[in-house]
Amino acid sequence: MTTTKPLKYAYYPGCVSRGACRELYLSTAAVTKALGIELVELKSAACCGAGTFKEDSELLQDAVNARNLALAEAEGLTMMTQCSTCQGVLGRVNEKLQASEPAYRERIDALLTTEHHYNGTADVRHMLWILLQDYGLDNLKAKVKRPLTGLRCASFYGCYLLRGQQSGRVDDPVNPKSLEQVFTALGATPVEYRGRTRCCGFPLSSYDTKNAFAMAALRIDEAIEAEADCLVTPCPLCHLNLDSRQPEVEKAIGRRLGMPVLHLPQLIGLALGIESAQLGLGQHIVSTRPVLARLGL
Amino acid sequence: MLVHDSAKKKSMEIAFRVRRQTGNDPATYQTYKLDLEPGATVLDALTQIKWEQDGTLAFRKNCRNAICGSCGMRINGKAALACATRAADVVDERGEILIQPFGNMPVIKDIVVDMQDFWKHLDQVEPYVSTAARNTPEKEFLQTPEQREKLEQSGNCILCGACYSECNSREINPEFVGPHALAKAYRMVEDNRDDQTEKRLERYNQPDYAWGCTRCFSCDEVCPMGVQPLEQIQKIRTKLLHSRKLPENTAMRHRRVLVAQIRNSGWLDETRFALEVFAKSPEALLALAPLGLRMLLKGKMPLRHHPIDNFAEVTTLIDAVHQDDYN
Ligand code: SF4
Ligand code: SF4
Ligand code: FES
Repeated sequence: MTTTKPLKYAYYPGCVSRGACRELYLSTAAVTKALGIELVELKSAACCGAGTFKEDSELLQDAVNARNLALAEAEGLTMMTQCSTCQGVLGRVNEKLQASEPAYRERIDALLTTEHHYNGTADVRHMLWILLQDYGLDNLKAKVKRPLTGLRCASFYGCYLLRGQQSGRVDDPVNPKSLEQVFTALGATPVEYRGRTRCCGFPLSSYDTKNAFAMAALRIDEAIEAEADCLVTPCPLCHLNLDSRQPEVEKAIGRRLGMPVLHLPQLIGLALGIESAQLGLGQHIVSTRPVLARLGL
Repeated sequence: MLVHDSAKKKSMEIAFRVRRQTGNDPATYQTYKLDLEPGATVLDALTQIKWEQDGTLAFRKNCRNAICGSCGMRINGKAALACATRAADVVDERGEILIQPFGNMPVIKDIVVDMQDFWKHLDQVEPYVSTAARNTPEKEFLQTPEQREKLEQSGNCILCGACYSECNSREINPEFVGPHALAKAYRMVEDNRDDQTEKRLERYNQPDYAWGCTRCFSCDEVCPMGVQPLEQIQKIRTKLLHSRKLPENTAMRHRRVLVAQIRNSGWLDETRFALEVFAKSPEALLALAPLGLRMLLKGKMPLRHHPIDNFAEVTTLIDAVHQDDYN
């Protein structure tokens, strides 16, 4: 399949990529540029609430995200997320509102300012899905300058990406394949292991740290046992618990893990031949050097 | 004759790969092949295997009609009811179906697991309308259809254990009461005949109860009755967050600070978030210091936080929602 018209999306970066995971923002910019995907950043989009809004009030989650979706609608574009959690929350709100009674939609609309109106016309999809569905794996493969030969990648999908929304799913939540397909297209070797569809523990990390770390340790151990060189995730929240907090996880279990965790666009960037500095690979808490070394960089 | 022939054509041979284990002995896999009628369920198949091929195969069953909740197991890796799963719908391209016992519970034999903790955890939420309410009243307890409707979804639970089997929190925390118990807990706090609501909320306001769930959606994904335990857990959390009587714990504070921050600038300021969540706990802040330093050194801790464009719209919106929803 050859791409006829240039791909263009309303870009929803999410909080983490603009804060604690800048490297995700940088690598997404570098990779989309290299692939010729145009992004219109939604600069007035608010935090999706990461599932927490709903605990305060479901109406809050629906209203704030109706506004976010309305911003993409106004651009006439599909919204692109780069976070499993953002995707699950926005996708779920969108499918809910699209199917909801007119009275509820009117209630939401009454809450939004007059500039915004939610119509339910925009689609919201994760970058991973866009690469598979719109860009095409063959096109991606054609752009590979530095095949990731010999790199053993363990996928870490994130709960919200697999199970958050009911409609528009790309993967079977029990046996997802999309990340593995991308790895293969880039020349890397997908690693099969149990943890890839499970939870990283991030939602518990602020108040039940012990269990959040135990969960992260279990996942990383499973990947180590499967002889992975790195974890690769489409979710920056997973990245926070698996990378940023890995030294604390190690301390909790009294053992070194040393497992590098890459954001999906960083892995793609490496295969496209983009400089590792441009991909923010030096900005990780767990060194990514073993990955670069494996690739002879 | 013709009818018979076409029916015969439709029956298919399926190989069941079954995990066999007794207690703590090492597990093995055994494959049984059999011809099945098109409508046959996985439970029909297992029953046929037991009768015709191997009487030692152990699994639970009773109603054969998705009512009793006995026949739960992992079918191709997904927790489900064998009697509600048609073999033809799940057979893979090699003609195989993988049968394993539930997770998070020790195996007694083959597909039969020890559900003691599952029942113990259910008990811990006191899954009965309060004793006071059960004393025979002068007249019957009245419930409006609206009140009854609120109990419907969690009331549909058949205690099969599928959610508990896949629960991520239960896997690492043996004290976490689990999705089934919390779905029931929600049913109890919502029941207008129960007079222990305050006490219940106090109990559920703990890490091993409502706050122990990591929001992994696994329970919602597998529940054969549409109970959606996570949805019910979130409703308990809403009640906890809005209770004025309960002491504030870190889980509550986390949520309140998050909403307040987004109200103020449209998105999360991670550094200030940590400072505010742990403002009242110097030890916790101190424990976070090495993390903060590491993040700072790697440029993962922006020193300035810029509000999103038009953030005032978000402030107005959040205030309007709270006005609308809180009363
Ligand atoms: S909530 Fe659903 S999955 Fe869990 S025990 Fe009840 S019926 Fe089974
Ligand atoms: S959403 Fe919560 S209760 Fe449900 S399976 Fe996951 S951790 Fe367990
Ligand atoms: S046998 Fe009763 S639910 Fe399946």
